[in-house]
Parts: sequence; structure tokens; C-alpha cells
Amino acid sequence: MQKILIIDDDKDFQDALRLVLEDHGFDVISAYDPEEGTEKVQSEKPDLVILDVLMPSNYEGFDVARKIREKLKMKELPILLLTAVHTEKKVPYRFAPHEEYLPVDYFMDKPVEPDVLLEKVNELLNIVE
Amino acid sequence: MTVVFIIKFLEVLQMKKFDIVVIGGSAAGLTAAITARRHYPEKKILLIRKEKLVPIPCGIPYVFGTVGSPQNNLILDTPLEKNNVEIMLDEVTEIDREGRKVMTAGGEEVGYDKLVIATGSLPMMPPIPGFDKKNVFPVYKDVDQLTKMQETVNASKKVVVIGGGFIGVEVSDEINKIKDVQVTICELLPHCLQLAFDSEFCSEAEKVLQERGVNIMANQKVESIVGNSTAAGVKLADGTLLETDMVIVGIGTVANIDLAKKANLRLGPTGSIWVDRTMRTSDEHIFSCGDCAEKFSFFGGKPSKLKLASIASSEARIAGANLYGIKRESVGTIGVFSSAIGDHSFAVAGMQEEFAKQQGYDVIAGMAEGPNRHPGKMPGMANQRVKLVFEKRTKVLIGAQMMGDKAVGELINVASACIQHRMNIDDIACFQMGTHPALTASPVVYQYVNAAESALLAMS
Repeated sequence: MQKILIIDDDKDFQDALRLVLEDHGFDVISAYDPEEGTEKVQSEKPDLVILDVLMPSNYEGFDVARKIREKLKMKELPILLLTAVHTEKKVPYRFAPHEEYLPVDYFMDKPVEPDVLLEKVNELLNIVE
Repeated sequence: MTVVFIIKFLEVLQMKKFDIVVIGGSAAGLTAAITARRHYPEKKILLIRKEKLVPIPCGIPYVFGTVGSPQNNLILDTPLEKNNVEIMLDEVTEIDREGRKVMTAGGEEVGYDKLVIATGSLPMMPPIPGFDKKNVFPVYKDVDQLTKMQETVNASKKVVVIGGGFIGVEVSDEINKIKDVQVTICELLPHCLQLAFDSEFCSEAEKVLQERGVNIMANQKVESIVGNSTAAGVKLADGTLLETDMVIVGIGTVANIDLAKKANLRLGPTGSIWVDRTMRTSDEHIFSCGDCAEKFSFFGGKPSKLKLASIASSEARIAGANLYGIKRESVGTIGVFSSAIGDHSFAVAGMQEEFAKQQGYDVIAGMAEGPNRHPGKMPGMANQRVKLVFEKRTKVLIGAQMMGDKAVGELINVASACIQHRMNIDDIACFQMGTHPALTASPVVYQYVNAAESALLAMS
């Protein structure tokens, strides 16, 4: 069973996401802040990380992504950013995966349809349905 | 129940209805609307855009120097008016696919038979620490934002540009024209323009930039933007601190898919709006083109993130023609760029040699260089260099790079046509060109054909 770590400070969102992912056979672990998330990335050895950005408000998720890649040297661990940062911060630009400046595999804006998210999760985990 | 029915009926009667609605007024939207008019003269066409003034996307770097202001770099409404396309200045906030109508921020509902989404792209912001300081500017495609940016440029003595691609290089060179402004480009890769050109062309472009006074910090990652609420410096990964009065970011753009996502249209592998080769989305009544639409490479068919106004216009000509019956299909993105730094022009089409090898192609390259006039004493003489890249087994042309005078801006389009039609090394070596002493290189040293001859020699 493949293990997914969700790092997001929104408990309701985590619960809803957990239901969807568990229903599709994934083992789901939760972390509710950047510190807990960084710790669980090392201790739980997940196959995929779903990461929020605004935890609680100031782009902390970007630092977590950089830490995973640069300090923990986990270059191959797939990271999916799932965030409402664009709408909440009302910015006239976009954040997107970038090898050096935003080292994640995919960027998704919240809200997201469950089947769209599952398709991307499967793709990142190389699962063929 | 009856009352609800009557209200709905009255709403439908009052709703504006068009055959074709285009969302977006830049290169893709404008071209799609005009193309639709050419192919469907009897249809009622509306273009909805939120901007009162639309900048010419490729002209944006030049607002800081050559053209003087964002107000001098605008797409005119004349082509739309001449083609009997109505314009609505409003923002589409929602697409009702079932009811085939769009809703706007201004409270309008507009019915459509066919819809074209051409919502373009937004600049990419790297979330490095300090990115949200107030004098950090991505290169926006918005007149108000560009005006604000220009005011900041005019008040600055030092400017740092993050990103040494075409936008970064052109913006830097234009700002450099303003007296007393010191511009520094920070580029991650070993050279500026390296995603487009082979190293020998990049080095030439960098030499020209440096001679004109632009500082280049290549092979350098930006660690952070420092300062209080405004940026005062840029710290590089090697510890260098570049003092600055403003930061400009030109590292690329991201498809603007907000509306399509809200309408549950399928997205493609790069996160842009999925389209087939006819530019039709996952809804048969909705087409998409330009920066917001998913693309695939002409070479091998992999998803492509290339975003250019020339690609957008080509896609718009496909989308606009196909609305009521499929007439055209996309061949994929070739990637044709040209740029000018002072009197030096640089141009590329297709794959460069280094990139093609990385992609697994066995290639052979040929280069030719010489004067662009004959004899060389003719006025306007400049050196012209052409490099052609061929797939070794089939001898088909897959890439061209050029530098020289302004003529390479059009010669590269000849190369693009040759690539698109998969011409081979002999076709090009025997290419029948027109020449004139005052206009071109001599027929004997014509660089484009001699580069093919040089590749043939290298092959033997």
C-alpha cells in the first residue's frame, strides 16, 4: 500500500482528502504544520507528499518543499502542491514548479475535483489504472 | 412553477446571444476572432476582454526604451472593427457549458454557439525569500502594471533582472539604454539564452550585451531578495550581494486556466487547457488557443511549455477556422524566436544541437559565416552566421540558428518553413534563393545553403 503524507493546517480539508485517498487504497498520514510535516517526511518515508502553502499565512509550504529537496536531499520524492495561495493572496502572477526556485512536481489550485486529484496522484506514483 | 418558467423565458429573451464568443483580446483572441470572420462571414461574433488597453506582447520589453511608454505599444481595435467583431470590455467570471452562456463581472449573460478561450498567461513568480517586496516586478502584460514598473525603472540607478531568457535579455538591454542605470542579469544556467541557442551563439549574445554595459551573473542561483518592505539587494547562492533599487523577474509564464478549471474543462499534462490538434477542448463547442492552451512539440510530440505570440496566432488561425467544421490541424510547436541587441540580431528555429542530443537525436551540424552583401564594400555589410542541425539518418532539418543583421529575423522564418516541411540536407544545399548585392550575401557564399553543404562534408 502506498503511503501519502498530507501537510496542511486545515483539518477539515485533511479529513475530506483522507476519505478520498483511503477509499482508493492509499495509506494516509497527516501533518498539520511545517515542522511536523518535515519530521514525518523523514520518519514515515511517504511515497508522495501533498503540501499546502499557507500554513498558517506566510508561504511556509514553499520553505518545506525547499527543505525536502535541499536539506533532506530527497530529490526523487514526488511533491504535489495543493493550495489556494493564488486566490487567497489575490496575486496577479502565478507560482509554478521550477527546478531551482520551486522544486515540486506539480502545482494544483484548491478547490480540486477528487477525480482530477486522483489522476495526478496516480500519475506521480506511476500507477496505471 | 409557472412564474419560474416565465422568469427564465424572459431572461433568455433578454440575454445577449452571439454565434461566436471569444474570451481574451491579445494575440490569440484577436487572431481567432478575425479568422472566424474570414471563414464565417455570416456569423455574429463578440470578443470579450477585461483590459481597456491591450499591450502588444512582443513589444513589452521595448516600452522601457525604444518605444518610450506602454501607451505606445498597444494592440489597436481597428482590425476587430474592420472585421465587424463586436467588443465587450468586461471580465468573464463563469462559463455555463450546459446553457452555453458566459457570465461577466459586470452582470451580463452572453449566449454562444461556439466559444473560444484565449485567456493567455500570467508571469511566473519564483517564491524565493523576499519575492513579495513591493519593488519586485514580474513582467506583466498589463498597461497599468507596466506603467508602474516604468516609473520605478526611471527612479532607479541599479536594476537586477532575474532570468536571462529572451524577456530578461531584451528588458535589460532596453533599460540599459536609459542613462545612469546599471543593469545586472542573474541567470541560473551557464549562459543567457541557453534554452534557445547553442553555447557559441549564447557567448556572442552575452559579449554584445556586456559591450553595451549590461552585467551578467550566469550560473548563479538567486538565494533571496533582501531589504525591509522594499528590495535593496539580491543575494546569490555564492554569497554575492548585488545592491539594487528594484528587481525584475523574467523566468517564464504560466497558463491562465482559472476560467477553464472552474468550468471543469479537462487540463493537459503541463496544466494548460487540454486541446486536440484542431484546438478543440474537452467540450466540443469550446475551443482554446494561445498561451492558455496545451501544446505539444513538433519534434516527437512531447508536451511543450513554449509560449510565444507567434504560436498563439498560428493556433488561433486553426481554432477560428475550425469552429463550424474541421479544416486545419496543428503540427505542434517548432519554436521560432528572434531577438535584437543593438545592431546584432539573433534567431533560432526548432532544436539546437545540444538540446537535440539531450533528447536522443543523432545529429549532424553545419555552419557557414560570411558577409551579408556582395561585394563586402556594399553599404550595410555585416557578418552573418548560420548553423543548421540535421537528423543524421534521415538528413532532415531539425534546427537552425542565425546571427547577423536584421535580415536573420526573416531568414529564420525560411528555415522554419523548411523544418515544418521536413526538407533534407540536399533540398537545402540546392535551395534556389534570390540574391542582390545591396540586399543579401552572394549566391556563392550564401550562408543558409553553405551551412547545409558544411553538414554534408561533416557527415562524410
